[in-house]
Amino acid sequence: MTTEQTNGPEDDGGMGRLLRERLTRHPAPAMLRATVREALEPRAARQPWWMLWGAPAATAIATALVMLLWIAPSLPSAPATDPAQLVVRAVLADHARNIFWGETRTDVVPAALPRAMAESGVALNWVFTGDEDIQLINAKATYLEGRRGIELAYQDSAGHTVTYVIVPGGSVILPERGRVQIDRWKPVVRKENGFSLIIWRQQNLLCVLASDLVSDEDLGRFKQYFVKVRSSTDPYVTY
Amino acid sequence: MADDEFRQQALQHLDALHNLAVYLTRNGSEAEDLVQETYVRAMRFSHRFQPGTHLRAWLFQILRNTFLTFYRLRERESALSEDGVPESEAPMFHDAPSRDSESAGAHMDLDRALTKLPEEFKTPLLLAEVEGLALEDVARIMDCPVGTVKSRIFRAKERLRGFLKDYQ
Repeated sequence: MTTEQTNGPEDDGGMGRLLRERLTRHPAPAMLRATVREALEPRAARQPWWMLWGAPAATAIATALVMLLWIAPSLPSAPATDPAQLVVRAVLADHARNIFWGETRTDVVPAALPRAMAESGVALNWVFTGDEDIQLINAKATYLEGRRGIELAYQDSAGHTVTYVIVPGGSVILPERGRVQIDRWKPVVRKENGFSLIIWRQQNLLCVLASDLVSDEDLGRFKQYFVKVRSSTDPYVTY
Repeated sequence: MADDEFRQQALQHLDALHNLAVYLTRNGSEAEDLVQETYVRAMRFSHRFQPGTHLRAWLFQILRNTFLTFYRLRERESALSEDGVPESEAPMFHDAPSRDSESAGAHMDLDRALTKLPEEFKTPLLLAEVEGLALEDVARIMDCPVGTVKSRIFRAKERLRGFLKDYQ
């Protein structure tokens, strides 16, 4: 490890020294230390999860069901919105599920792809399976807002999940607002609920790429991933 | 590296991780959640850690990525320009200090001044100056060039000096 320091008192007015000497340190509380230590224990040494969470979870689910039955009739119905927006929201919900519960199953992807294509009705002449930056980790059929399609999940080398959904586009028209030139394409780039989205039409298909790469630098990387999947994936509808 | 050894070494950095988490989240309980999530992820992806490389920097990187992925979702997104892409010069996530808060800067202590920095300035400043990480490690954590790290640290200090101009 190199030990280059950024500045010294002579060239930054002592700000670095001030930070080192005066800034309050926040050591981990004892409770956190114990919790982390326990969390890092080998799984076999801990109690089964259902012993810890079974009763509270069951109570919470029962309460939620009762509340739902009680409140649902009085809830206002959501206003109708454009088809692209509905699909985008559904993609985000799927993407969130991929982040929280997605599993890396690289070994089954070659087997999963033909099955996903057969079930989804969206076939892929070519598909981008990954390179040194990002890898295809899952493929499955999906059903979003009445559209049967295919969903590919990628994971990049930094552990970010990228979800690529292809559904029949039909008459969906993408807005001009938000279009950004990326390589030779001009898709819609959008941020929604803390996620980045790139949306485009490819023949009669609607394609959505979703990711949690939201900062300026991450967005640049996300656009590179778009170029990779856009240029190396050729989908078409078989139904 | 064996799991036990990895676990023991990772635990040695708990205080430093918690310290950064507090300054990122500005909330004690969220900081604890963030640290716990960091360790859970570190264990899950421990096979990706290359023995001999800098474990401390790797843990900081996981903590920052976790913060950006989950905790930032609660904060207001940066404004998008007409073409749907964030303005490059604007702070990425936090608002710039308001005029009122700047005028109150005379009475602001160092801790409070630091919390007012945008994340992309605050994190490299803390990692380099307080935690003593090398600029190359900070650059890896921030996923940007070393030159950008230097520039951000410089600008962070300038802003801090502004907040503290009457305090020192």
